Amino acid sequence: MINRRHFLKHSALGAGAMALAPSFHQLFAAPGANGIPKRFIFIRKSSGIRPLEMALPSFSKTDKALDEKKQALEVDLDGHELPNWLRGLESHKANLTLLQGLSAKMSENIHYSFSSVMGCFKSNRNTLSAIKRTTIDFELAKLFPSPFGHVELSFAQGRTGIVSGYSAPAPQTRNYCYADPETARNELFKSVLNPEAVNSDNDMLSFLQSKEGLKISGIQGPEKRRQEMQVDSIDVIRKRNRKLLGMSESLAKHLPELEPVHADGGLNASTPEKQAAMTRVLVAALRAGLTNVVTYTIDDLGTPITGLPGNETDRVGIHPLGHDEAFGGVPAWKTREQIRISHVNQIKTIVEELKATPEGPGTMFDHTMIMYFPENGETHHGIGLESPFVIMAGDQCQLDLGGRYVRLPVLGVEGHKTLGNWYTTLLNAHGNPIEHYGDLDLEMARKKLDQVGPIKQFMG
Amino acid sequence: MPYLPDLRSLPFSAVLPTLLIILTGGARAEENGTQSPPPFAYSDKIFDLVETYCLDCHDETQKGDIRLDDLGALALTKRLDLLNRVQEQVYFRHMPPPKKEQPVEHERQALLAFLSAELAKNDASTLEGKLQKPEFGNYVDHDKLFSGEYRDLPPFTDDRRWLISEFIFNAKFQRILLNRTTALWNKKRVEVMGGINFRDFSLTNPFLLPETSGVRYYANEDLTGGHLSSMLTNAQKASQYLTETLVPKHRKSKTPFLPTVVEILELEETHLALLASRREFLNHHIERICAEIHGDRHEELLPTFVPVVLKPLPTLQDGEKYKRAPMNVSTNMLKKLEADRLVYHTLSDPDFAHLSDDEFREYCERIWFFRGDHERTIQSRMALLREYVPDFREIAEQNSRKIKKIVYQPLPDEEMLAIREAILKHRKKGDFYSEIIEKCLSDWEDRFARQREEAGPPSDDLFARLIDELSLLILERSPTPVEANDYLSLVKTYTNKLGRRKAVQKLMQTFILASEFVYRSEFGTGPADEHGRRMLSPRDASYALAYALTDQSPDEELIMAAQSGRLTTREDYEREVKRMLARRDIHTLIDPVLADKNWQDNVTQLPIRKLRFFREFFGYPAALKIFKDEKRFGGDRLANATNRVVSEADRLVGYLLEKDQNVIEELLGTEKFYVYHDGNNERMTEASEKIKRIYAYFKDTGWEHFGYPELAKHIEFLRQEPMRSINPDNLKSGNRQGDGLKLFKKSLTSITARLDKGQQDAPPFDLYRGYGSDFMPGENVAKLWGFRKDHWTWSASQPAAVANRKGMLTHPAWLMAFAFNTETDPVRRGKFVREKLLAGTIPDIPITVDAQIPEDHHQTLRNRLASATENDDCWKCHELMNPLGYAFECYDDFGRFRTEESLEYPENLIEKRPDEAKDRNHLIDLRDIYQTLPVDASGHLTGTGEDVLDGKVQNAVDLAGRLAKSRRVRQSIIRHAFRYFLGRNEVLSDSKTLIDAELAYLESGGSFDAVIVSLLTSDSFIYRKAPEN
Repeated sequence: MINRRHFLKHSALGAGAMALAPSFHQLFAAPGANGIPKRFIFIRKSSGIRPLEMALPSFSKTDKALDEKKQALEVDLDGHELPNWLRGLESHKANLTLLQGLSAKMSENIHYSFSSVMGCFKSNRNTLSAIKRTTIDFELAKLFPSPFGHVELSFAQGRTGIVSGYSAPAPQTRNYCYADPETARNELFKSVLNPEAVNSDNDMLSFLQSKEGLKISGIQGPEKRRQEMQVDSIDVIRKRNRKLLGMSESLAKHLPELEPVHADGGLNASTPEKQAAMTRVLVAALRAGLTNVVTYTIDDLGTPITGLPGNETDRVGIHPLGHDEAFGGVPAWKTREQIRISHVNQIKTIVEELKATPEGPGTMFDHTMIMYFPENGETHHGIGLESPFVIMAGDQCQLDLGGRYVRLPVLGVEGHKTLGNWYTTLLNAHGNPIEHYGDLDLEMARKKLDQVGPIKQFMG
Repeated sequence: MPYLPDLRSLPFSAVLPTLLIILTGGARAEENGTQSPPPFAYSDKIFDLVETYCLDCHDETQKGDIRLDDLGALALTKRLDLLNRVQEQVYFRHMPPPKKEQPVEHERQALLAFLSAELAKNDASTLEGKLQKPEFGNYVDHDKLFSGEYRDLPPFTDDRRWLISEFIFNAKFQRILLNRTTALWNKKRVEVMGGINFRDFSLTNPFLLPETSGVRYYANEDLTGGHLSSMLTNAQKASQYLTETLVPKHRKSKTPFLPTVVEILELEETHLALLASRREFLNHHIERICAEIHGDRHEELLPTFVPVVLKPLPTLQDGEKYKRAPMNVSTNMLKKLEADRLVYHTLSDPDFAHLSDDEFREYCERIWFFRGDHERTIQSRMALLREYVPDFREIAEQNSRKIKKIVYQPLPDEEMLAIREAILKHRKKGDFYSEIIEKCLSDWEDRFARQREEAGPPSDDLFARLIDELSLLILERSPTPVEANDYLSLVKTYTNKLGRRKAVQKLMQTFILASEFVYRSEFGTGPADEHGRRMLSPRDASYALAYALTDQSPDEELIMAAQSGRLTTREDYEREVKRMLARRDIHTLIDPVLADKNWQDNVTQLPIRKLRFFREFFGYPAALKIFKDEKRFGGDRLANATNRVVSEADRLVGYLLEKDQNVIEELLGTEKFYVYHDGNNERMTEASEKIKRIYAYFKDTGWEHFGYPELAKHIEFLRQEPMRSINPDNLKSGNRQGDGLKLFKKSLTSITARLDKGQQDAPPFDLYRGYGSDFMPGENVAKLWGFRKDHWTWSASQPAAVANRKGMLTHPAWLMAFAFNTETDPVRRGKFVREKLLAGTIPDIPITVDAQIPEDHHQTLRNRLASATENDDCWKCHELMNPLGYAFECYDDFGRFRTEESLEYPENLIEKRPDEAKDRNHLIDLRDIYQTLPVDASGHLTGTGEDVLDGKVQNAVDLAGRLAKSRRVRQSIIRHAFRYFLGRNEVLSDSKTLIDAELAYLESGGSFDAVIVSLLTSDSFIYRKAPEN
């Protein structure tokens, strides 16, 4: 007999029946030790974050020199001023870590990294066969199952609807994502908004279950076991659908409202409006318990930008901005900064919304980590020498993070850490004892420097 | 289950306990706070055996943390886990250890029977499952299989279903979704099988095979919830694509795709087409139609024009710079804003030539405003026009001929009437044009929906035809009457709930989700013979044969043979197998990974599964996935070199299979290889000759000192022998790497460097290193073979001899695949030889072992490995691998031949070379220079069973030569071929099949086709038997 555990073990692939969800394969929430799951939000941005843009303006002379020379450094954020674009997080500094010095050479860089920044492999310009492993977000989603398992949201290329994403639920498998707030809302809350679609799936599954079940009587041995397994698998999915339908009432309470401008993909919505609406859906999905892991591609080089301060009436492109080519008379660097500020505003909203949501003895944010990072390293044409991370971590986060500016030793020297080390840290801290996640760095390997395992200073 | 000296054949009753020694020890379980486990007992007889052979080490001394004298004290799960481990150790004869006293055969069997029975009580035995895996295939005694002792046992395979492979999954959906893939073959674009990408969307392939060498595709995998979850989404996407894209696309063709679906959706499609046509017409001409309808009132019905407000251009502060986005960006943005058509049409229309820039902007804005475009969109367009009108005007003038005018062409009268009526009905004062259009369309949509409702559901007859049509498309057969009836009820339910289109989609999904779609069916039919075996049903046989050699469903001849009763004898099978093996009219992509990398030399005309057997057996495609350091490679374009070396390994295998003589010996012992060669000797010779002609012509001209006038004297020659990017008629033109003169000198420098050293044939790589490839990419493959590009004994006619190489095991592709990122891997290389070629077995690594090669910056890898493995505990396994793997130490981890091993540690650095070359050219070598130690590649071959072959070997070349001569190696490869084509491990009752296959190989002069024919016409393949519970 197949059991729940067996099913989940074998359900790591693909999307699900009911809502054309990107990763609808895990129904049963597995709470953490105190009954509350951990949550992870990965926010991918394009066009790099220059390491100097993250440097603290109020660094002491010594720290500034160390930082510029890319030497190891750790500074308490308390008493320090944040860079202008990060000021939105000023009141949450205790939860903030600015992590510098990770390298990402095993990932693809330059303009795009596609799946690779979250999988630590070369993505061969987004070809399917190059997807070497399950990306980190899906690995974490396995540890904290939920009805949707994992949700991917994306503004990449300015598309709308359900389109291919960058996360990978398994090798050589590409996830799907919701590319506009309305689609995300309709799909995530489908059992509330369109229960008929769910019911018709169940008609089909019921027919298949009965048809396949009839075959059992005519066979024996291993084939009989096989057939029973298949029938049970169908049954599990039916139960999963029924359970989600049963959750409709509680889901309805969290149904986010969207303004009319987001109808039909929201082609006329401004960038701040789109981001705010997507953030609302994201927070609603977390509050409703539909998922514990979200990957949010907040932009890529093809995302149209409009309505930011300075460019209120223009539409600008991130790719030309990365080449210092500007629009509307506004220098490119100013617009780039405004883009980052708009991102930080979303992080701030998520933090504050989750902090305002009670959970257990604290709030939802206590168990949440938000990671904001460039998909392609340190500049518009990143080479992966550095891959800066802005991390917001709740008080119950299982890592020793918060209130710090950390610069790790640069690539190629003793003690340097890669993106793979960072992801290994996340996995090890949350129950996956993997020795090392991702491809190794070849320069570290060439120099015979240790590069395997978690970043010990972050392990709680 | 075929005959196997396995656990189930043992006489359980003989060992059932008569006198039980109760070893229950509930205390420990209680300590653990668990429920008391069920009692456990050895019989007297079994306890004696355990005491004699096990308890010396595994009593309270607990060697390896294992204790067998108090199993009853363990919690049930721990006890079952331990019993499983003991069962494996005893079954695989790893225990007792060789130095200890061994049980006689009947004692070992009695112990196994006891363990099996004990595990069976809880349905917990894992050994049977393991034995079905390919990596455990060698545990069936090799000598017994080929001894002839078991030749009289009747071979058969169990009735079974076999989960489709990743390749069959792709082929099925490519077929169903009419997806065509093309690739280059002999410089022509041809349609190929084996594509994995779809034009408009992607599917999730849940049937990926494990990435191991050997046999990857086996019939022991089950359909799980994971597969099903993925297939649900795949089915949804495929059904939408079928009904919403493919069916409408082919609806009007002479032979429409899925005609019954067309018929069912006919009314809806007609309505959709009408709506689309009216929408398009109105989008272009609504202003004109409205003006015609409303005449003088038209203007007053329009909304009041309100121009958008733009943010003023900011003033730059001191020192601030503003770099306006270039033209290509702005034109692209104009297109994204869907403003390009109006802008270019107006700017290229002589009627509007009089408009100033401001007048033009206002003209556009008014059009967009009255059309009802969103204010923000208009703002973005106007902001763009504010900065770029002069540039757009220039583009429009340059391209005026290409810009097609939209000419007013009224629709048929009845359509125009419907449009006029709707506009009259719906237009209100102040309406934007888009609002009028949407109101009209909404009205028509409602009307059409009512018409469809009045038409009623499709008839039962139409549904029956639909069911038949979809069943044929997806399951490739008509439904049985009972199935047809079931599906009829289902599709009616769907239609009632969802409407026609969704119902058709749902029915498609139902077929795709049937187990029959994802499982290959292989069942016997007809009367059983004296052994209880039945022949495969003709339909199942046709699929079994098709999938044995290809990833496609049966071809037409095979279908006909099955349907006309010509697939019922061994001779029928033989005829069809030989026919399919001889086909050369199908082109197939060899490797989807290479195709994804846009690698063109990737097509074969051989039956793909024949070629794939050897590429998977050797496992060299893994070289594509290993992550190597470009600097250690020595230069750039490592990826191209890796792609080429793998595709040239494929070419070599293909060449030897096409020759089909002494295939196994040649694969292991050939000294001829393809190196930077596309297999076409004529083309390669011509390309090489051209370089030699250029060299000979300019050699003594003093070209190094040419200026334009001197070069211009040779224009006629340059016309005859075009050189890369040099335009003889405009020597000052060129590319980003220089003008004609500079490129000429770059080329001559490269040519001279190659040919001044007495090279006979010039490898025809590009004349200089530039972007892309002028002739053929991957010339850096030379570095993997250890050749300098300026000193390369290349042959235009290949395969050609390469020094220090012998067979596939010395091919750089294989050597890279069996290496670490930065080091060689003697253990894995030796394991391959032991298991794949010598039919040996090596136990799993004990979980307590932390397999690490110690670091020592002054020792070779061999010495470091030896220090860690040549001790008592490790050596019992490692002696089966290391002495074989050491022989390959004459190649580094890129597969380059070497006599010295570079000690790549910082303290051994002799010369640091730059990480990036300033001027990338063909001759760069960026490898840092380190101190070295001499390589010791001597090894030791054991296990061929032939004294003349076993013994000390000098290096891999020596080893490969001996392996190529070994009978056991030949037999081992035939065993793997059996597993590959039968999808299961061989057992003793397959002895006749294997002996016959070897005989067929020998009698045919080493034809692998003969092996395939023998296997696919064997009783093991043809005969099936129902498995027992």
